[in-house]
Amino acid sequence: MSTERQSQITTAFVSIASSMADGADVVDLLSRLTSDCARLLDIASAGLLLADSHGVLNVLAASSERTRDLEIFQLQRDEGPCLDCFRTGEPVSVSDLSSATERWPEFAPAATAAGFAAVHALPMRLRGITLGALNLFNDEPGELTADDLDLAQALAHVASIALVADKAASDKETINEQLRTALRSRITIEQAKGVLAQLGYLDMDQAFAVLRRYARDHNARLSDVAQQVVSRKLAGEQLIAHAVSKLVLPENPA
Amino acid sequence: MDPIADLRVKLGSAMDNADWTISMADRLCHACVDLLHVDGAAISLMLEGSSQGTFGSSDGLSRQVDELQFTFGEGPCMDAVRHGGPVFAEDLADVTDTRWPAFTGSVLDLGIGAVFALPIRLANSGVGVLDLYRRTSGGLVGNSLAGGLMAAELAALPLLEMISAEAKVRALGSNEPAWQQLSSLARVEVYQATGMVMVQLGVGPAEALARLRAHAFANGLTASQVAWSIVERELCLEVDGRPQSGGPHL
Repeated sequence: MSTERQSQITTAFVSIASSMADGADVVDLLSRLTSDCARLLDIASAGLLLADSHGVLNVLAASSERTRDLEIFQLQRDEGPCLDCFRTGEPVSVSDLSSATERWPEFAPAATAAGFAAVHALPMRLRGITLGALNLFNDEPGELTADDLDLAQALAHVASIALVADKAASDKETINEQLRTALRSRITIEQAKGVLAQLGYLDMDQAFAVLRRYARDHNARLSDVAQQVVSRKLAGEQLIAHAVSKLVLPENPA
Repeated sequence: MDPIADLRVKLGSAMDNADWTISMADRLCHACVDLLHVDGAAISLMLEGSSQGTFGSSDGLSRQVDELQFTFGEGPCMDAVRHGGPVFAEDLADVTDTRWPAFTGSVLDLGIGAVFALPIRLANSGVGVLDLYRRTSGGLVGNSLAGGLMAAELAALPLLEMISAEAKVRALGSNEPAWQQLSSLARVEVYQATGMVMVQLGVGPAEALARLRAHAFANGLTASQVAWSIVERELCLEVDGRPQSGGPHL
C-alpha cells in the first residue's frame, strides 16, 4: 500500500472519529463515510443500507445523491447482494454482474443498465446484530483486493458504531429506536432535497450540496436543517441564496 | 411462524377489503383488541398539532376516552403528538403521576387503568395517534409493544385516505395488501417528489403525498412511476388538481 494512500486512510478515520466525538449528524457523517469509501477504494459508488424494524433494507447514505443511483441501492429491498449479505451476515462479492442475472433477475440487469459491472456487500454488525450492509459498486468488472475488503469492512464497522452512538444501547429495542431515528432523518433529507430542487430548479445532487453547505456554514445538523426546510420554518430560498453566495451554485441555475 | 411476524400478518390483513376509510380504521382498532392484550383502541387525526377528531375505534368507550383528551386538551395522546414518540400511562391510578390531572380523573371514573399513545406518521410527519386502553394497570410488554408500533404504522393508511378526502382528491382505489401499499410509498423517489409537490401546491408533506398517490390512482400508475415523472420534471401537479406536463416551474 502506498504511503500516500495510507495517509488518506488515516485522515479519513481521524475525520470520522472527530465528527463522532463532536456529536455530528449521523446521516451527514455516514454520507461522508461513503464518499471516503468510494474515493479510497477507487470505486464508482458506495452506499449504506439499513434494515428497518421489518427487516426491510433502506438507503441511509450514499456517495452519490443522484436519484438513479439511490434507486439501484434501493432495489435491494427485494433482492441483491446487500439483501443476501444482510440475511447471512456474510460478505457477498460479485466480480462480474452480467453473469448474476439468474441469481438476481431484477437487480443484476438494472445495475448493469446503470453502468455498474461489479458489486460487493459487507455486513454492518454490532454486538451480534446485523444492522444492514455497506454496498460497493464498480464500473469495471473485477475483485477487490484482500486489503481493500479489509478496509471496506473496517468502514462498515465504523458506520455501525456511529449509528448506535449510545454505548448503553444493548437491547434490540433501544438499538432499533436509534436506527428508526436515522432512517427518519434520511426521509426528511430526501423531502428537503425535493423542496430545494423544485424551488431552485436543481437536480438532487445540487439540492443535497445546498442543504449540506447551509448546515455546515451555520454549524447546524444536516437533519435539523432538512426538518426546518420541510416544515417551512426555514425558507428554501434562503439556503439557495447562501449556496449561490458561496459559489456552490451558479447564479442562474439551468 | 415467529410470533412477531405472525402479528405483522394478522394486523396487516385486518383492513383487507374494507370499503371505506372509517371502517378501515375501525377494523384496525378491533384487531388491536384481538391481538395486543388491550381492551380498547382508537385512532385520531391530528393536523398541525390540533385534533381533527376521533374517527376510528373499537367501541364506544374507547371513543369516549379518546375524545376526553381533546375536551381537556391534555393526555398521553396530546403529548405523543408534541414529542413525536410513544407516551405510556401504565398506571393511571398512581397518584405520583401528575401529568394529566383532569384527564386522569375522568378516565379512571370510566374504569380505564392504563393508556398507551403511539404517534402515527405519514410522509414522516406526525398526523395522528393510535391510543390503546386497558382496564387494568400494567405495561405494554413483549410482543404487544412491537405489535402496537406496527399497528401505528398501518394506521397511516386510513389517515392518508382521510387527508385525501379532506383535500377533495379521490384516493380509495387500491386493493393491495396494507403492508404492500405502505412499502410502495417508502421509496427514495417518492420522498423527493413529495418535497417537490409541497412547493408546487403549497401544502404539507402528508397532503403532498396524498396528492401524489391520488394522481397515481387516477391514472392507473404506481406511486413510484408518478414520483419519477415529477422528479424528472415531466409532470408538475397543479393547484386545481389537474397536472400540467413538462417545462420548468420557477
